[in-house]
Amino acid sequence: MPRGRAMMVRVRDSVTANWMRLVLGLISVVAFIATWAVVSDYLADTDSDKSEYLPGPGAVAEAFVKSFLEPVPGFDDIRMGDMVASSLIRVFWGFLLALAVAVPLGLAMGYYRAAEAMGRPLVEIFRPIPPLAWVPVFMMVFRSFWGPVSIVFVGAFFPILLNVVFGVRSVDPRLIDAARTLGARRGAIFTKVVIPTIIPYLMTGIKVGLGVGWMCVVAAEMMPIQGGIGVGYYVWASAFSYSMYDYTYATMLVIGLLGVLTTGVAEVLEKRVSRWMGMR
Amino acid sequence: MTACIEVRGLSKVFVKGKREVVALDSLDFEVADAEFVCLLGPSGCGKTTVLRVVAGLEPATKGDVMVHGKRVVSAGPERGMVFQEFALFPWRTVRKNIEFGLEIRGVPEAERHAISSKLVDLVGLEGFEDSHPDELSGGMRQRVGIARALANEPTVLLMDEPFGSLDAQTRNLMQKELLRIWSATRKTVLFVTHSVDEAVFLADRIMVMTARPGRIRETIPVSLPRPRDRTSPEFIAVRGKVLAELDEEFEKAREKELSPD
Repeated sequence: MPRGRAMMVRVRDSVTANWMRLVLGLISVVAFIATWAVVSDYLADTDSDKSEYLPGPGAVAEAFVKSFLEPVPGFDDIRMGDMVASSLIRVFWGFLLALAVAVPLGLAMGYYRAAEAMGRPLVEIFRPIPPLAWVPVFMMVFRSFWGPVSIVFVGAFFPILLNVVFGVRSVDPRLIDAARTLGARRGAIFTKVVIPTIIPYLMTGIKVGLGVGWMCVVAAEMMPIQGGIGVGYYVWASAFSYSMYDYTYATMLVIGLLGVLTTGVAEVLEKRVSRWMGMR
Repeated sequence: MTACIEVRGLSKVFVKGKREVVALDSLDFEVADAEFVCLLGPSGCGKTTVLRVVAGLEPATKGDVMVHGKRVVSAGPERGMVFQEFALFPWRTVRKNIEFGLEIRGVPEAERHAISSKLVDLVGLEGFEDSHPDELSGGMRQRVGIARALANEPTVLLMDEPFGSLDAQTRNLMQKELLRIWSATRKTVLFVTHSVDEAVFLADRIMVMTARPGRIRETIPVSLPRPRDRTSPEFIAVRGKVLAELDEEFEKAREKELSPD
């Protein structure tokens, strides 16, 4: 019986723990918004010349809602949804291109010593360069659409590449032996042993790559290039061109929420894949 | 008796940097059809290497290995292998592990399912078909390993200390289970172990290997009827004989380790 009781206590503990987590999380969010409101009100009351830079939570919330319903300040027919779509499509292409190049390259570098020896020096030189260092040149050359796409590509490329290389290295030689004694040759070893082994590593690369890619698109879009729209562009334009700071913060909030969403999707995908593969 | 496995003048030299290590030195032996032979020796004597060469996982430096008159050049499904660390595919269920070799050979799904179901029954894994290896105990995992090797209907079963990582109780149970499976399938078994007790319990014949470089020191037939009683005077007598052979080799190996070169 003591075991049963211990288990019940533990279940109850975990339920209260979940409630506690929720409550504690809410407390900190509410405290943050309250502090923000107090500071913003104080600046307004004292007629500070900095007060326009910090609108209150109410104004930002209003701008947030309005930005999705009406065209945003500075534009006749563009809403926040269009900005979001424009940025997402850039992340999508940059990420897809990174995946298409990094996965075969990672497989080659993991598999063949020669490929590894050839690739390693370039990887070591280019990897420490922040993707944002490419912004000036790539934006000038590739302009408003392919510019951000190429920055996202650079940002997502290395996490995917390195994780795939590491995944290939992690293949258990005993499993290859087992597969060989069961009649598998090179092709079957690749599809039935190597690929299943690297999938969790690839998923980690994808998760990290998506996060980095999302940051890259925002930064790249801030470079003022004619004809571009997107959340990064609008963070910049709403402040510098239109002085609509409530919209600036609203756009920042949109960026944050989209980041959470992208990571969330990647995590669900990762869990799905690992459950499908039978690894818990 | 027809020879199933023939090993002639088998030598294996490993090159480690500039040093050459002679692991096996002109080994000769035969295993007959449906015979159960244990390869016994002190650790590091190269008994696993013998098994890997017969499996085709490792090339011989010199000499020949023939299975059913055909020279072994690479791994093949007619020689099933069971590994000490199980080597199950962790992302596959029990059933999918067993069906691995059948998938490779392109056996249609319905047939695969029928074969794996039969093997699940044979090795006693009913109810665990959809479990993953990490949900199973060591003994259960090795049942999967055995079933997986049997799925290809090999004529030879190569077993590399398959029960080495199991606790004593499970080990004894698995030895009995293996003999049951063996008598049901009549495979030729080459079984590597360092346990004298295990060898005497299982084998028709025990080949005791010398310490490095590995050779066959002595072949000891075990004619006790099965099931064998570990406490019977006959069992203990065979055990004593094998142990004496092994002890001498163990001493030699120790002396070699202690001597300056």
